Amino acid sequence: MKDRVIFLADMQSFYASVEKGDHPDLRDKPVIVSGDPERRSGIILAACPIAKSWGVETAEALWQAQQKCPHAVVVRPRMQRYIDVSCQITAIFEEFTDLVEPYSIDEQFLDVTGSRRLFGDPLAMAQKVQQRIMEKTGVYARIGIGPNKVMAKMACDNFAKKNENGIFWLTRDKLETHLWPLPVHKMFGVGSRMKRHLNNMGIRTIGQLARFPLEKLKRKWGIPGHILWMTANGLDASPVTPGTHDTQKAVGHQMTLPRDYADEKEIKVVLLELSEEVGRRARMKGYAGKTVAVGCRGADFDVPTGFYRQQKLDEPTNDAMDIYQAASRLFDRFWDRLPIRSIGVTLTQLQSDEEYQLTLFDNQYKKRQLGHTVDMIREKYGATAVIRAVSLLPAGQALDRAEKIGGHYK
Amino acid sequence: MQVLIKRDQLNHAVQHVLKAVSTRTTIPILTGIKMLVTDEDMTLTASNSDISIECSIPFEEDGEEIVNVMRPGSIVLPARYFGEIVKKLPEDTIEIDVKENFLIQIRSGSSEFQLNGLDPEEFPRLPQLEEEKVFSIPADILKTIIRQTVFAVATTETRPILTGVRWNLHNGSLSLVATDSHRLANREANVETSEDLSFENIVIPGKSLTELNKILEDSDQLVDIVITDNQILIKYDKVLFYSRLLDGTYPDTSRIIPQSFKTEMVLNSRMFLQAIERASLLAGESKNNVVKLTSRPGEEVEITSNTQEIGKVTETITPASIQGDEIKISFNAKYMLEALRSIDSDEIKIGFTGSMNPFIIKPTEHDWITQLIVPVRTN
Repeated sequence: MKDRVIFLADMQSFYASVEKGDHPDLRDKPVIVSGDPERRSGIILAACPIAKSWGVETAEALWQAQQKCPHAVVVRPRMQRYIDVSCQITAIFEEFTDLVEPYSIDEQFLDVTGSRRLFGDPLAMAQKVQQRIMEKTGVYARIGIGPNKVMAKMACDNFAKKNENGIFWLTRDKLETHLWPLPVHKMFGVGSRMKRHLNNMGIRTIGQLARFPLEKLKRKWGIPGHILWMTANGLDASPVTPGTHDTQKAVGHQMTLPRDYADEKEIKVVLLELSEEVGRRARMKGYAGKTVAVGCRGADFDVPTGFYRQQKLDEPTNDAMDIYQAASRLFDRFWDRLPIRSIGVTLTQLQSDEEYQLTLFDNQYKKRQLGHTVDMIREKYGATAVIRAVSLLPAGQALDRAEKIGGHYK
Repeated sequence: MQVLIKRDQLNHAVQHVLKAVSTRTTIPILTGIKMLVTDEDMTLTASNSDISIECSIPFEEDGEEIVNVMRPGSIVLPARYFGEIVKKLPEDTIEIDVKENFLIQIRSGSSEFQLNGLDPEEFPRLPQLEEEKVFSIPADILKTIIRQTVFAVATTETRPILTGVRWNLHNGSLSLVATDSHRLANREANVETSEDLSFENIVIPGKSLTELNKILEDSDQLVDIVITDNQILIKYDKVLFYSRLLDGTYPDTSRIIPQSFKTEMVLNSRMFLQAIERASLLAGESKNNVVKLTSRPGEEVEITSNTQEIGKVTETITPASIQGDEIKISFNAKYMLEALRSIDSDEIKIGFTGSMNPFIIKPTEHDWITQLIVPVRTN
């Protein structure tokens, strides 16, 4: 395949940078974005480079971080703001190329192969992109450049992040000199478990993996083995696909409960609320799903319990009650009766809801009409304009969650 | 027990009863076939949780000796092995000799097998049925009416009752209905019965009927059918076929089938079937197999299918006749194909009552069969 010019842009300490951009007075202070310890979501979501220099790490508990850096400014996350900024950044990228693929909230791929005539050589273009984002959002973007997506990603993670100017171009001729000497776990797609497996096979560097006989890798791991080898050799044909996030595979909602729930009736209230939210989001995106999954985690950290189970339905659905009934059946079957700390409902095997099979004994059309009507009321008068009566019980979380995104305040 | 038996007749009977042998069961004895030899006859029996089949082998047929009993008795044979062995034995005649401890010796020509059998006393007894509700129907007709309905049963267990075919009998008219809630098949047939016999809501598992149809042949030999509260017994030739019935009330389908139509058309069955087959080549990729039918009064009928990533197909058919409103309706091609294949008629009549409502397909020649399809809603 012909080599392309792909960027992977990574936003440094994204949430924290957005906060600093919005509050210039915090610019020179260590900033930590953390969930609410009162509601047991008190883990570090992001820390700015100053806070990190004090040893603060992402995903540790807030109290741990505060011990290391007592003077840090702790900010509550504002998820909607981060989503908005992420979209704003996508829009900036789209000034340079139409092939932009958001990879996560703070990482995006750009295929700029066709943009060189307009914006000059890749390094200069990357610099322009970086400047534009800094000007518009105050966020520092690091950009890895490569002939394909995996090379761009590895260029960013291993070099651009450590570079003075935050840009690195991993060309093919640098593969052997720069990438291959790195330890194998620095490669994209190699986690701690895979690292162990590879080390046991005597593979310690990316170069060793690249020169390892392909046949042996394929025999051991099949297609994933082949992909590992290709990645090590800087080969990747996957295109940058805009709208990857539009064709979703699942709609799910999970929440950590404000206290442990042990009463089946209380848990069912939350289960219904989650089903309602999953149904609403599926309808909003024009999907119906054929499989319902329920997962929950036990309250006791020392004795980890819980389950994740799924069930296939006869008809694809996005109706809250259909989802709830399946979720409820699963829960009844697999719950071990121990108090739970978090619970989630997911609708998968999504398909377009544009066309659906009508049935003899169940009015699919009416159900959908009802769902869409409730959606419209909520859109016009707010998420809590219509709620289920059970949500008024002490166990209900719908009113509280209406204020949040991903369990954190908007 | 010791017998000499002709291989072909034994094989024929074994293949029949094998259909009732459980492959996956927690009760080991049910993986076997029970062979019982008395001074009068020889029978093979197999049973699983749904069906039981008993097949008798006559001692004599058309003046030829089939079974020669040296010593009567009984044994349970391991079905999986016995079935294969009988098929492959070298000579026309097989000797089966049961020794101590249920050890079975099978000899044919120079080949000799020794198999471990099981205690026949442990084999479940077949149900004793009260033969009060009995009617008769020719084998070929029974086979046809099963074929024309059983494909429409539900394959998932969400509503277990829908995995069966519902039988009703009134005034000598037998009515079969099967539906998976996306389509429905209805077949009526006249049967021979006493005047006053009637029953309702007899629901026979679709799987049982599929197995029964493998045993029935296209002959006009009469089949006797005995109905009880929880079992059905079909007596055909030398076979007794028992099936359990499904518990529960079958939904009322009487008002589902529309009687008057907004649009009616008559089409050549074969041409229509082939058009749908072609259209479904592209529809196959999308989840609902959607094919769209469009017609305006006085014009040709248009069949289209469109799957964005693949492409589209358009085809027109000239109907033999058409009347009523214009119609634009989408449906699952698979249901249409199965319905069309079940109707043995050169011409079919389709009646629509709007694009959101079920429509029916019938042969033009008679009224015995009605296939109903629920459309796919498209936005």
